[in-house]
Amino acid sequence: MSDLGAISLWIALVLAGYAAVGSVVGKVRNVPALVESSRRAVYLVLLALVVATLSLVASFITNDFEVAYVALHSDLAMPARFTWVAFYAGNEGSLLYIAFVLAAVSALVVWRVQPSLRDTMPYTTAILMVIVVFFLAVMGFMANPFDKLPFVPPDGEGINPLLTHLGMFFHPPALMAGLVFTAVPFSFSLGSLIGGKTGDEWVDAGRVWGLVAWGLLASGLLLGSWWAYTILGWGGFWFWDPVENAALMPFLGLTAFIHSIMVQKRRGMFRMWNILLINVAFGLALYGMFMNRGGPVPSVHSFGASSLGWTFLIFLGVGVVVPLIVFFWRYPLIKSAQRLDSMISREAAFLVNNLLLLAVAFVTLWGSVYPLISRLFTGNEITVARPFYDQVNGPLFLGLLFVMGVGPLLPWRRTTPAGVGKALLRPGSFALAVVVVLLALGLRQPYALIAFGLGAMVTAGIFLEWYRGARSRHRSMGENYLLAWLRLIGANRPRYGGYIVHLAVVMVALGIVGSSFFGTQRDVVLAPGDSFTIEDYELRFMGTVEVPHSNRTEFVSTIEVYRDGRLLEILYPRRDFYPAFNMAATRAAIRSTPVEDLYVVPSENLADGKVGFRFLVNPLMWWMWVAGPVLVLGTLVALWPQPSPARARVAARIPAGSRASPA
Amino acid sequence: MSMRAPSKLPIVISCLVIIALALVATGSVAHAQEAGSSSEPGQSKGYDEAEAISIDRMLMCPVCPAETIDQAQVEVSRQMRLIVREMLSQGSSRDEILDFFVGNYGADILAAPPKSGFNLLAWIVPAVAIVAVLVVGFLVIRSMTGRGVQPAPAASGSEEDLAPYLEAVDRDLGLDLGLLATPGGSNPTARADRAEIPPPEEGLSKDV
Repeated sequence: MSDLGAISLWIALVLAGYAAVGSVVGKVRNVPALVESSRRAVYLVLLALVVATLSLVASFITNDFEVAYVALHSDLAMPARFTWVAFYAGNEGSLLYIAFVLAAVSALVVWRVQPSLRDTMPYTTAILMVIVVFFLAVMGFMANPFDKLPFVPPDGEGINPLLTHLGMFFHPPALMAGLVFTAVPFSFSLGSLIGGKTGDEWVDAGRVWGLVAWGLLASGLLLGSWWAYTILGWGGFWFWDPVENAALMPFLGLTAFIHSIMVQKRRGMFRMWNILLINVAFGLALYGMFMNRGGPVPSVHSFGASSLGWTFLIFLGVGVVVPLIVFFWRYPLIKSAQRLDSMISREAAFLVNNLLLLAVAFVTLWGSVYPLISRLFTGNEITVARPFYDQVNGPLFLGLLFVMGVGPLLPWRRTTPAGVGKALLRPGSFALAVVVVLLALGLRQPYALIAFGLGAMVTAGIFLEWYRGARSRHRSMGENYLLAWLRLIGANRPRYGGYIVHLAVVMVALGIVGSSFFGTQRDVVLAPGDSFTIEDYELRFMGTVEVPHSNRTEFVSTIEVYRDGRLLEILYPRRDFYPAFNMAATRAAIRSTPVEDLYVVPSENLADGKVGFRFLVNPLMWWMWVAGPVLVLGTLVALWPQPSPARARVAARIPAGSRASPA
Repeated sequence: MSMRAPSKLPIVISCLVIIALALVATGSVAHAQEAGSSSEPGQSKGYDEAEAISIDRMLMCPVCPAETIDQAQVEVSRQMRLIVREMLSQGSSRDEILDFFVGNYGADILAAPPKSGFNLLAWIVPAVAIVAVLVVGFLVIRSMTGRGVQPAPAASGSEEDLAPYLEAVDRDLGLDLGLLATPGGSNPTARADRAEIPPPEEGLSKDV
């Protein structure tokens, strides 16, 4: 089976190379048949990669330990469902996953092409295929998942126990797919530019694929945080680890892009800016992949294949420089249709949002590379970790929250200071009221106060607008409020989908602020029968049971949770010891409520039945995880196509002409 | 224009949210006040646990990649946490404790670069970048708007003449749009915008 996979990889490489060269040559020499043949080659690339993927899956399922990758990442005891995780658990397999996803999305992209993009599609296809070629070549020459061992070991090494978690079923594939999908809007943009189409041709496709990539990255980041929170056993969810940062940066770039592309879609502005933004986002995605594979900074995520570092660094260089060259070559052709009408307008707010997001990305990048700079110039080893990022990014995030509150309230084109005042009056007073109430309650941390106030402003702004819109429909069309609200959202999905995502962002902010400013943490050693009080919880440690499994021993502790003398819940935090890895994985027990999480993790089991526990009370964490589905929902709403363009157009013209600021 | 029309729903929602936030905050305040008051059994008292944790968060675990000692679950970080607490209860200050660890492990034990010497660069560059971003943003917006800060053009006579007609159109369409969240939707300057013929892009707007 594995031979078939190895052969398919080479076939895919040849086909992708053909598709890349053929589409460009066919386009330039004006040979439509060659272009069409190259287009169809994309489907064959996908087919070949499906075969390769299935072949690796088959090797896992049949425990073909002659394949080195299978022997290193699975064993006989591994349940078949973990094949999905084991597949991308290592460097080689994750490369195959990436190539497969990219080929699949490329096939989708060339399958249905909107008319405005047909002319430049060969270039876009070629760019996508060049990226596919890169990954296939790396696999073929440097990290082949189908490499064989000189002998057949009786059993494999087994899957890393940290990966046997629900979060791992989705976090890595979502993040990797998100990084790769960034290539799609990038290819549309660059392809149009090479083809001399410097207008709005690529905007719709770019926006849709940018949103898809964004949604994948956002869910990947949240799932990764959730995984860290439940399994790493320290009660936090974000390290500011170099590779986490590397995933966060393209996410920030894409966030800027999906906002600013709306300005081009609606107003024909920011054309150059959008091209630059998607180049930046793609460059950051390449940087993320580089950091993940032999990057220069130690990280918990490294695949540890240092020989690949240079290859990815070179690819990163090419991926940044080439688009810039094309950009400057085509620079004279790019003109934005409209000028900014006013400093106080939604366009301007979008620009500020973009700049803030890029500032966060830059500062994060700076923090990631500063240790190298220090080593280079002074020879001193320096660490840049959480305290640095908290201090420098904290204010920027507050700024973003502010723009998120104000921006949507501003109309397109222009308004007056008085108009702004009026728009801000209610959300602003609500925010003030919240801050005053919190102050009265004794809350003193300025950061937290500002964050809660801004969160309140964003929320109030959104609900006020929904309420007004629903009321207007209720009055004019007699719909009930719920129906009116649903139709309101259906009528402008990009906008109101965005609002739903904004609410999710506020929820994430609640979780971050609550746990970082008001969390309590205690490390205690308890003997069976001991109890410990944290906040208003009384925790009674009842003892530990050993549960042997084929590949691990579980140490399950029982903790009774009392409040005011009443038993609330019995928690079973776990510590699993894996002899094969000589490592233990913890499974925290979490009692989660919207108000706060009670988090219990056994950090060590001592010889005499005592257990070292870490207890945390993390206020508002619940909101952060609930934000995930909300965010996905909002993204889907924003992505969902309008029912029928013709109908929407007519319906839309009436309000557009009749009011001051079509949203 | 019933800008002050009875909009009880938002008020009700506001109240609910305030109450919810208040409840949450009460819990949080309790935490803040309790910080340091409870101490672990069998451990010497006389130090502020919250301070100890915040020091933990400034020190890297020397053997694990990218983890501070409050996160890391390995023996050496456990011992470092104990040392932090011991030194605190002996009256050492935060800086003394950090210096102690830097003396033993080197400067990279600190989770953030010290704000002195060459390492000041680590902190200055972000600050400069943020200021630069704000300045560039301001300049770009100003250049894009043309002649700097310019108030929205005042309603000219002809546009003002149109206002009643536009309102009539709104009424006929049954779209009570003045109520929508269009800031300045009811002020004359903004109304002037209505008179403008929307550019083609505007035709795609799908409000309401």
